[in-house]
Amino acid sequence: MKTLAGFAHRGSTFSSGSVTSARFKPTKYIPVSTAATLLVGSTTLFFVFTCPWLTKVISPAVPLYNGLVFLFVLANFSMATFMDPGVYPRADEDEDKDDDFRAPLYKNVEIKGIQVRMKWCATCHFYRPPRCSHCSVCDNCVEDFDHHCPWVNNCIGRRNYRYFFLFLLSLSIHMVGVFSFGLIFVLHHRERLGALHTTVTLVVMCIAGLFFIPVMGLTGFHMVLVARGRTTNEQVTGKFRGGVNPFTKGCCGNVEYVLCSPLAPRYMLDPRKKPHAKIQPPFIRPDLSERQITIKVSDNGIHTTIISSKSKSSLDGLDDKETQPPLPPKADRYNQLKSQLTSSEGKKHKSTAPLCFHQQLSCHSLSGKTHPSTPAMYKFRPSFGTMPKVHYHTAGEKIIMPDERKTSAILEEGVRGHDYRSEPNLDLPEYTNAPLHRTFQSSPLQLDSDPINSRSLSLKQGQRRPEKGQLPALQPQTVTSTPYKSVFSPNTLSNRNGSLSYDSLLNPSISPATASECMAHRGMPSMGFHSPYLPTKMCHIREPEMQRHQVAPTYSPVMPPRGVGRQSPHSRDRDPSPVRYDNLSQTIMASIQERKEMEEREKRQMLHGRSQTHIYAQDSGVFDGGYGLPPNVCYPDGPRGPGSRGPTPPAYGGSRDNLMGVGLVSYGQRTPVLRHAGSTLGRAPRTSSTSLHTDHSSTNSSHSRATAPEGLYRSPAHQPHSPAMPRSPSYSHQKLSYISAHERTDSPQAMKVNGQMDCHPSAQGATHSPSRHSNVKKVTGVGGTTYEISV
Amino acid sequence: MGTEMGQKRHSASLANKVFIQRDYSEGTTCKFQTKFPSELESRIERTLFEDTVKTLNNYYAEAEKIGGQSYLEGCLACATAYLIFLCVETRYEKVLKKIAKYIQEQNEKIYAPRGLLITDPIERGMRVIEISIYEDRGSSGSSSGSSSVSGSTAR
Repeated sequence: MKTLAGFAHRGSTFSSGSVTSARFKPTKYIPVSTAATLLVGSTTLFFVFTCPWLTKVISPAVPLYNGLVFLFVLANFSMATFMDPGVYPRADEDEDKDDDFRAPLYKNVEIKGIQVRMKWCATCHFYRPPRCSHCSVCDNCVEDFDHHCPWVNNCIGRRNYRYFFLFLLSLSIHMVGVFSFGLIFVLHHRERLGALHTTVTLVVMCIAGLFFIPVMGLTGFHMVLVARGRTTNEQVTGKFRGGVNPFTKGCCGNVEYVLCSPLAPRYMLDPRKKPHAKIQPPFIRPDLSERQITIKVSDNGIHTTIISSKSKSSLDGLDDKETQPPLPPKADRYNQLKSQLTSSEGKKHKSTAPLCFHQQLSCHSLSGKTHPSTPAMYKFRPSFGTMPKVHYHTAGEKIIMPDERKTSAILEEGVRGHDYRSEPNLDLPEYTNAPLHRTFQSSPLQLDSDPINSRSLSLKQGQRRPEKGQLPALQPQTVTSTPYKSVFSPNTLSNRNGSLSYDSLLNPSISPATASECMAHRGMPSMGFHSPYLPTKMCHIREPEMQRHQVAPTYSPVMPPRGVGRQSPHSRDRDPSPVRYDNLSQTIMASIQERKEMEEREKRQMLHGRSQTHIYAQDSGVFDGGYGLPPNVCYPDGPRGPGSRGPTPPAYGGSRDNLMGVGLVSYGQRTPVLRHAGSTLGRAPRTSSTSLHTDHSSTNSSHSRATAPEGLYRSPAHQPHSPAMPRSPSYSHQKLSYISAHERTDSPQAMKVNGQMDCHPSAQGATHSPSRHSNVKKVTGVGGTTYEISV
Repeated sequence: MGTEMGQKRHSASLANKVFIQRDYSEGTTCKFQTKFPSELESRIERTLFEDTVKTLNNYYAEAEKIGGQSYLEGCLACATAYLIFLCVETRYEKVLKKIAKYIQEQNEKIYAPRGLLITDPIERGMRVIEISIYEDRGSSGSSSGSSSVSGSTAR
């Protein structure tokens, strides 16, 4: 019987959570039919036979009142009967595959400090939530199960308990009303009890009277339950007998909950075919440490594989759920770098720091060394098991950080880098760095666009999203490296051929942009990501080298066009001291830097003050941009550079001046680009000299310090620089300063850019090539390159 | 989606499901545990996940709030003999729609790129939040296979 009933109930459509069968069991409908019949019938009879007289005798309000009450009763009755009480759908197999066989029967959960037992429902395959019970009649688990009411042929649960309760209330009221009015009628028709109306009224009264007790009893019972906040099930099974009910909200709260709570939702919904989000690999993984960051740093023949499109796609992927495939092999290296970096540096500077080192390391590797040239670099190298080949990818390419913000920025930068590269490159044939240069340029550009933000963001993101953070971090590195490269390349180019430098200076805004970016990047290194050290060094090394080579012969020709300044700094940097920082020892770098600064200062002084200032300004801008030949990134140093560069290294100064003249032109183009870089530059010029000095000094000591957190990287870089290459370090510093200035718009900031500073000085020195040449010293850098350091 | 021509298409297949259980510490109000499951350790960042669950919890709390609007709804329903339910959406239903939209958006933006899929808890009776974990099963030549597979498995 029970099973049969259960089976039949299974077929019930009312509130069945199971598959309905076609079986129709009439017996379960008897109570509800009876109840409905009685209710409707009696009331109808009452209205027909009793109410007319009552209306006449007492008032028309009687039927109105009764009608309203009856309507209320019906509505609640219907709701209680047809409303889903809160049936739980059966659990999927996936949900219970662990629970079905080995799960305990009960699971305890604490509710407001009281342990409540949840029982495993074998039919529905889940642990019944608190207050849930399985109705055998309906064969469903019902939420807040009260009881199964045969009179409505429905479970009373969370959703329809209110209607059931109101039904009881209203029915009681209705019954009371009907009974009362019937009594009045009968009492007034005592003498004619046999009359039809009277008989009917009597019958109705009897029915009402008959059901009065149960209904009133039930109503009273439920009123108590509501006040106590219990369900019938709990009351009857004695769950809280002598105990505390964890579900009570107080008497008023409970009443309010029953009567005024929002209508709960239905769970037994039709399976809607909503469009699922497409799951398309590859997937983003949050764990950064596994990522291999590839920083490709090529030596002179650095070829940047700027995959800006890739990075772009990565960004897109992020947005469109299309995640970028796991970083490409190159990127993998990055990841490695990153991971290494992160591990070495710690969370924050993970991405930045390691990158810097890597970059630095890569530079060294490029130059033929596989170990950092400076002890500082070694310090940061722990993550590198072996000197990984750092490939300076364009920022965009390499850093495919999930960081959407950053990546987008980065991507843009990378794209820009492309632009830059696409522009005629003044690379000298001998300048193998050209490609590298490009890389830098692109990255600087990229960085520049968002150097500080990306850096800081990368840092932050690194924390939040290791993946992303790493990427941005990588980028900075790339940027830094590229700036140098760009610095070198444009400068070197120019240096190499004097014309090149000018050309590079005159290159479309990209160069300034790149320069600024470079500079910015340099500054970034302070952020920690970019290895200011590395790129700077490279830049510095290259620059001075290039500049020396090129500036000297082409200084004059170069200078004029270089007036722009950016180029000159580069060229100056290159010519006088094409030493690669990464190749040079720290002392050498420091001296180079000093020299550069001095030269620049001298040059500046040589040049007409106004022009100089202009140049400086330009320089700053130029440096940002022009120095930037490599795009403004490099120039970040520039701003610093100009000031400092001008007067000091003759090479710088000369080149700078020249560049200024030329650079002005190009500046104009680049001005917009330089803005961000140049803004700092603007400030930088004023402080450039000081910055240079400061850089200079700082390079020796405080450069890194200036940058503080990121200065980690830089400091090592700076220090070596200061003694050795005044120019290069200053350039790099300048760049760094620019970059940092970009961030901070402060020369001290520029100082932060260790490596980059060097670039600037070199750039500056370029303008002063003639003088520089006089002071040129030859320094053998890593990889056997010989740099001329202007003293 | 977005399979590029000439590129191998990676397909994702359902690997595992994680169920975020309800948090009953405050009674039977709908609230999900914000504890970060270990299976998602390598798939998604903790903060993202917690944000999602907290937002969902807030939505549900807002839906179940007993206040002015719920009073009004109840009175109106009584006055119209509950015929109002045929015409107007209840507050809870409105919030459920918001939740569905939110989950859809989260899936598209955050979870699907990570190979995860959140199922609306309403489909599970608000007992659990089901998160499906997909794995990259490598590339497949078919261009339509992965999406359909993922779609079907997601269900």
